[in-house]
Amino acid sequence: MDGAARWYPMRARSPSRRPCATLPAVTARSEVPASFRSSSARPGSLALIRLGVRETLSRRRLIAYLVRADLKKSGADTLLGNVWWVVDPLLQMLVYWLLVSVILKRGAGTPDYPLFIFAAILPWKWFEITVREGGSSVVFREKLIKQIYFPKLVLPFAATVSGIVNFAFGLIPLVGMMLLLYPERITPWLLLIPVVAFVQLVFSLAVATALSALNVFYRDIGNLSRHLLRFWFYLSPALYGMDQVASLSGRNQAADLWFALNPWTYLLSAYRDLIYYGQAPDWGALLIVLLASIVLLFLCILLFKRLEPSFAKVL
Amino acid sequence: MTVSRPAFSSNKVAIDARDLGVMYNLRLTKKATIKESLIRRVRRPGDTSFWALRDVAFTVRQGESLGVIGPNGAGKSTLLQVLAGIITPSEGDVAVDGHISSLLTLDVGFDTELSGVDNIRLAGAFMGLDHRLVEEKLPAIVAYADLGEFIDAALKTYSSGMRARLGFAIATSVEPDILLLDEVLATGDAAFREKSKARVGELVREAKAIVLVTHDMNWVTEYCNRALLIEKGRVIIEGSPAEVVALHQERSAARAAEQAAAGVFAAAKPQPVKPSRKF
Repeated sequence: MDGAARWYPMRARSPSRRPCATLPAVTARSEVPASFRSSSARPGSLALIRLGVRETLSRRRLIAYLVRADLKKSGADTLLGNVWWVVDPLLQMLVYWLLVSVILKRGAGTPDYPLFIFAAILPWKWFEITVREGGSSVVFREKLIKQIYFPKLVLPFAATVSGIVNFAFGLIPLVGMMLLLYPERITPWLLLIPVVAFVQLVFSLAVATALSALNVFYRDIGNLSRHLLRFWFYLSPALYGMDQVASLSGRNQAADLWFALNPWTYLLSAYRDLIYYGQAPDWGALLIVLLASIVLLFLCILLFKRLEPSFAKVL
Repeated sequence: MTVSRPAFSSNKVAIDARDLGVMYNLRLTKKATIKESLIRRVRRPGDTSFWALRDVAFTVRQGESLGVIGPNGAGKSTLLQVLAGIITPSEGDVAVDGHISSLLTLDVGFDTELSGVDNIRLAGAFMGLDHRLVEEKLPAIVAYADLGEFIDAALKTYSSGMRARLGFAIATSVEPDILLLDEVLATGDAAFREKSKARVGELVREAKAIVLVTHDMNWVTEYCNRALLIEKGRVIIEGSPAEVVALHQERSAARAAEQAAAGVFAAAKPQPVKPSRKF
């Protein structure tokens, strides 16, 4: 049947699509180099990091498509759809408020305790999604990885980025709650939330990248990380403030060290400064967290690129 | 259907494979089932590595079409995966000059929650196609897949035949310079099979170089002008299709006779069971 030819008008081949064997050139028609060389010789660490960054940047559109697909899906099969993104953090806040304020009668020293914990629950939820979705992102595309070549780094990156949208939706109940219940706490500092969110994004990218690669080899990572996240949440100043952390200091060296090294100590206090206290966060600490996260991200990209050649074989 | 390969004046090398070797580390690949059983047969005791390919070297020039044949588990599909860039070789290297497309399987990146149209866009992005090209081709792909209203429904509502049609339409929507074909593609109803066969023939005519893996010797003698016989990951012979096919048939007949003599399931003399190693 020759009718098939009709559907596919023949495309004139431009001579530019035949680059020389070793120098891949991106043409107008495809977003990736048409020619490639695949070798057992592995590039050095710096070259691998550079490669990872370059291929992620060159596949921005794929990341955008994956994010959009994620969003389309996450609202598709529930009754309330994306409304859950608004309700979810509110319900979680309610649980902690009931537990801490009503039953344990502990929140009394902190005025407006619901807002106090909401400022921590919101970013933490985003981090939780990053770890869960990002960690399983490579394993989830198992079939695809065995069928075509593409830079696998786009997968954890897309999962982390789609978490941002979730976080942004969570800002709606935050603003609503502040307008209705705590109008006196609204300050221009709220506008700087994206700055802290950016620091969190870099840190989350690093975590998701490392977990997604390790998850290919050890599937237990998914279970393990769920429990570790729990510990991490309770051992970060989310339900309690820095005053509690300060009251511990000097008495237990391990605790001191933990709170000093835990990036969430600084991230949560920064969010809380902006949302709850309406004051400037500790910019110095935030900058250190950002720089450390950038270094960590590069290391995690390196880890990912080192393990990447084995993905198709192990999955 | 015979295809006369267009004669290219240039003698440019499209695929250059040098000393290719692919090693599987058995400690890591534990959930494989078919693979595992194959591996067990080949593996020496105490060895945790398995070479799916070793010392494979060949070149494919423009205008050539290489048929790869061999018994099951010889490493043919692994070879295609290496050529497609999916698996990085553990030894040696391969250089590919041109836009490569592999019809290894037909459901590239399908996401069952997304609609047919969204899946086309996503698959295009995964294949690295420029989004303008994808948008340009979109109506043609939709028409070719011939799914009617379903094109806007989530993929989970599709029948397997509909999925195969969509997958085929996406996978073959762009004419590649180098075409990798694994087995061939008998999907859907009779009418679509005809249509897809015609399309594959077209791609074969269009492509500047082809590597074809198949068990169908007719395909090799019809479509290829060179052939490669692989057994247990090593190249046995490379030459004209007729010559290679003849040797392959001779060797598989010999193997079959050997097996018959030994008793296929070794029922008469059970082998002592080796303690199964935990990978």
